[in-house]
Amino acid sequence: MSKEVKELVKTIRPGLSLGEYGRVYRDTSAFMKISYGDVIELKGQHYLVLRDESERSFGIEDPKYWVKRCIHLESGDRKILKLVFHEKFTLKLGDLEIPCYRSPRKEARILDLVRGDKRFMQGQSYHDAKGNVVRILDVVRGKRLDHCVFEIEKGHRDYFFQDFPRILGKFMDSCRAIGMLHEKREIHGDIRRDHLWREYKGGRYVWIDFDYAYEFEESPFGLDIFGLGNLLIYLAGKQIYTAANIERIIGERRVKLEENDFSLLYRNRIVNLRKLFPYIPQELNLVFLHFSQGAEVFYETVEEFLRELEPCLDIIIERKEGWS
Amino acid sequence: MNYKKILIAADASENARRAVDYVGRIVGRSPGFEITVLYVIRHAERDLFPDDKSWQARKRHEKEEALHVLRELKELLSTKGLERGTLSTDLLEITDFSIAQAIMDYQKNGGFGTIVVGRRGMSKAEEFLFGSISNKIVHYAKNCAVWIIE
Repeated sequence: MSKEVKELVKTIRPGLSLGEYGRVYRDTSAFMKISYGDVIELKGQHYLVLRDESERSFGIEDPKYWVKRCIHLESGDRKILKLVFHEKFTLKLGDLEIPCYRSPRKEARILDLVRGDKRFMQGQSYHDAKGNVVRILDVVRGKRLDHCVFEIEKGHRDYFFQDFPRILGKFMDSCRAIGMLHEKREIHGDIRRDHLWREYKGGRYVWIDFDYAYEFEESPFGLDIFGLGNLLIYLAGKQIYTAANIERIIGERRVKLEENDFSLLYRNRIVNLRKLFPYIPQELNLVFLHFSQGAEVFYETVEEFLRELEPCLDIIIERKEGWS
Repeated sequence: MNYKKILIAADASENARRAVDYVGRIVGRSPGFEITVLYVIRHAERDLFPDDKSWQARKRHEKEEALHVLRELKELLSTKGLERGTLSTDLLEITDFSIAQAIMDYQKNGGFGTIVVGRRGMSKAEEFLFGSISNKIVHYAKNCAVWIIE
């Protein structure tokens, strides 16, 4: 078998040498077996596996055996191959536990839907020899947006008036992208900080990973909208604030916090940021408070959310002039 | 609208049973009432299943359960003194997202003057993330009375 891969590499990409030559897989069902040096063949195209993708959470490297970093031998391009892994798991949001399902079918459908829309990761899907839906993704060359924001070396006020307006403008476009999905009866399903990336070249924001599906009672978009709210609050604050870390942030200034100032789901996170940073416009803060424990009315659509968020950009820019 | 024409929105929950029981106690043995128990199914999305077979099995199970619940609830109402001729049940399978909207459309098209719906204790966070059928009906139902049974 290793001979087959060796021949393939020699024929298609002669400049490439490997430490190990594995086998060619046309059926990807046993994804745990597929590793470095193996080749996945789909529709006559060959993808040389370099490694399993992994996710870092709580300082621990968590391998995703069904996601392979590859080289497309015919073009030499780097690709990510997501193989079929039907998983049911529990998504924990604060105290809530939500049964979630990993759906290759859903992600493949959305990839078709967003083809050419650079606000989303790009790729296509093919069936392997056993009918598994394999997604072949372009690598997003960039960095998590939240990391980019956190690393801006400025105090909050300077960041808020100098950088945040540009970030907010682009973030709103990312929200519109999610709104477009909803209009087409699709959801992202897993909007969280590590799923919005900023490309190195051009600085475009790109949504990644839309293979989560879940059940809902009446509002199909609630989880996505909550994710957008969380991201907005992070971007406006430049980080997360909790009762435990605000002293370090705001110094000796006294701030009286109440239950309603905290997130509806993450009960230790402060969302009433205006209490920490009084220069945050009331209008923007009111958007944050829709995600607080004190909220009585919730956004049901991205359109509603944006209707209140969009005017805030001009307000911040006006205030910026007032502050300078 | 004829307020004596009552639409009870039901599902397999204990709250729905309580709602039916409540209506039976209130209007049982009183003349002129007409009651329909409606069960709306929005089948689980295909995305949640690894294959067609398991999805179809789930859909079959959901439908069988709904029919069983409707039979039980009709039986329950008939024990409250309501005549069988004034009772009906209906099962609606929808593909749209909103069950609440389906209930309100049914109310409007059928000329029901009262909608009755059970409510389970839902936290604010759950309501935000998943939505609440009863809250939506309270907010958007028109030209009818809405009874929420907790």
